[in-house]
Amino acid sequence: MSKIQEVKAKVEIGKTKLVPGLVQEALDEGNAPGEILQAMVDSMSVVGEKFSSGEIFVPEMLIAAKAMAKGVDVLRPLLAGDTSASLGTCIIGTVAGDLHDIGKNLVSMMIESAGFTIVDLGVDVPAERFVEAIKENENVTLVACSGLLTTTMPALKEAVQTIKASGLDVKVIVGGAPVTPEYAAEIGADGFAPDAGSAAVKAKEMVA
Amino acid sequence: MLTVKQNLKEVLTGGNPDRFVKQFEFMQMIMSVPSCRIKPAIGEEVVNEWGVTIRWPEGQLGSFPVHDADHILLKDITKWRDYVKAPNVVFPAEAWEKAIADAKAVDHDNQYVTAFIAPGVFELTHYLMGMEDALMSFYEEPEAMAELIDYITEFELAYAKELVTYLKPEVIFHHDDWGSQISTFLSPAMFEEFFLPAYKKIYGFYKENGVELIVHHSDSYAATLVPYMIEMGIDIWQGVMTTNDIPNMINEYGGQITFMGGVHSGVIDHPDWTKEQVEEEFTRACRECGKLYFIPGACQGMGVSSFPGVYEASDAAIDKMSKEMF
Ligand code: B12
Repeated sequence: MSKIQEVKAKVEIGKTKLVPGLVQEALDEGNAPGEILQAMVDSMSVVGEKFSSGEIFVPEMLIAAKAMAKGVDVLRPLLAGDTSASLGTCIIGTVAGDLHDIGKNLVSMMIESAGFTIVDLGVDVPAERFVEAIKENENVTLVACSGLLTTTMPALKEAVQTIKASGLDVKVIVGGAPVTPEYAAEIGADGFAPDAGSAAVKAKEMVA
Repeated sequence: MLTVKQNLKEVLTGGNPDRFVKQFEFMQMIMSVPSCRIKPAIGEEVVNEWGVTIRWPEGQLGSFPVHDADHILLKDITKWRDYVKAPNVVFPAEAWEKAIADAKAVDHDNQYVTAFIAPGVFELTHYLMGMEDALMSFYEEPEAMAELIDYITEFELAYAKELVTYLKPEVIFHHDDWGSQISTFLSPAMFEEFFLPAYKKIYGFYKENGVELIVHHSDSYAATLVPYMIEMGIDIWQGVMTTNDIPNMINEYGGQITFMGGVHSGVIDHPDWTKEQVEEEFTRACRECGKLYFIPGACQGMGVSSFPGVYEASDAAIDKMSKEMF
């Protein structure tokens, strides 16, 4: 197995302690940083698919994302300034009144591993805060809003509509257990995904 | 007409119930037990009995453990002994008097004296260290995690001993959310390794000490865990969401376990709730799941609703279905 394939395989099974060393070895063998990064992005999309299909669970996904992050730390000094892998910045947050963040964090990791730069606003984020963040950050292409409570569905609607009304040129993706594709469309979101794996796929599609 | 308890037994054993069991009607929770639980009021922040900071911001539906760097209790799972100290569970006999009197006053033909336990063993792991660290630790530090779970189990058993000595509960209503709407948090294999042994001890102890029924709350998907639920001694799984394919589970496991739920709280329990919607949901649930090994109810982990009137409307909707189907 080539070193790059090994990196890919070990990210997939979340070997957080092994991946940084393997990334270094892959570099030492002369592989381009961008190529190694791409291999890790690919393994995370495999992880995403397996999560969507119920083959793996939240812990497996979390450690895979952590393994990748550790690998990226090794690459970061070499990638600085190289934005070729970037699909732009994604602003993410859980809407006002809602403090659940496990799902949002998973979505954030997967969208990041797909090639976005993430700005995470945390939980209980008022609608206007999303708009401010779009203005404060460079090259924002996507806003992702999460809502887990039926009682905060109106806040999700408000977030989407405030972002849309601002006239800023960004796409909005929404999700969370009570959100349906129909509801997403009804409140004017550009996209919806049922889980973190498909969120990354959808996010890429939306900014393509 | 059968008493509530007789009717419940018929449902659990596949006999001849004469109506549907109505949600929590068979459990009388004795909430006056001495407890070490410290909970915030709306707008308040408290440090609870384990040292976990719990906040209930104004305008929010409920309280939340605070897990930012400044507040998180368990900072390093490998050193859990330095951070985690179980609260005292031993109270003087006088402290139990009110609970014992409340238990005596229960309508024993129709209700079981019930002890309420929350959070559960899994929930406590993520209360202490945050969900993400907890979940990753099952992989990264499995030995430390197993030790922590043992420690929590011993804490639960210590309190269980007090409960069976003083209150003598007939039913245990125990919370532990094991999944999201569509999947379990842990793989079944990991669940089996870490949580089956813990719960076999806890529920086994109760059963050996006079408890007739174990009712476990997990308002989630957990169909893949049902064999373990049966093995650990759960009689009723409360909070069963429709994502589990309840009719299919009843076919497969009815007789070994009973399923309580079938109606999502989120769907019926909201500010704009209507009697019609409640009826529609319970009609569907009762028709789909049938009369045996099934108790219709909302998935919420208590016999209440978030919005006034919904719980009562649910009971009325179940009565209506009883008239129609029995
Ligand atoms: C874990 C949990 C908690 C934890 C949260 C820890 C944390 N840091 O987030 C704790 C215990 C603290 C908690 C607290 C509360 N909770 Co809670 N909680 C849950 C539980 C069990 C699981 C949620 C979860 O994390 N799932 C796992 C993740 C991975 O799944 P997910 O969130 O659905 O996310 C996935 C998808 O939805 C999607 N997705 C999510 N966001 C986004 C965003 C985008 C853009 C996209 C594309 C996709 C996407 O991808 C994710 C990954 O695949 C659910 C029950 C359930 N069955 O879902 C209740 C639940 C959500 N909680 C509920 C309630 C009521 C509360 C409280 C009010 C309870 C209380 N204390 O009394 C408080 C909330 C206070 C507040 N204002 O927010 C209710 C909500 C009911 C309702 N009316 O909607 C639920 C449904 C339980 C219930 N039936 O009563 N909760």
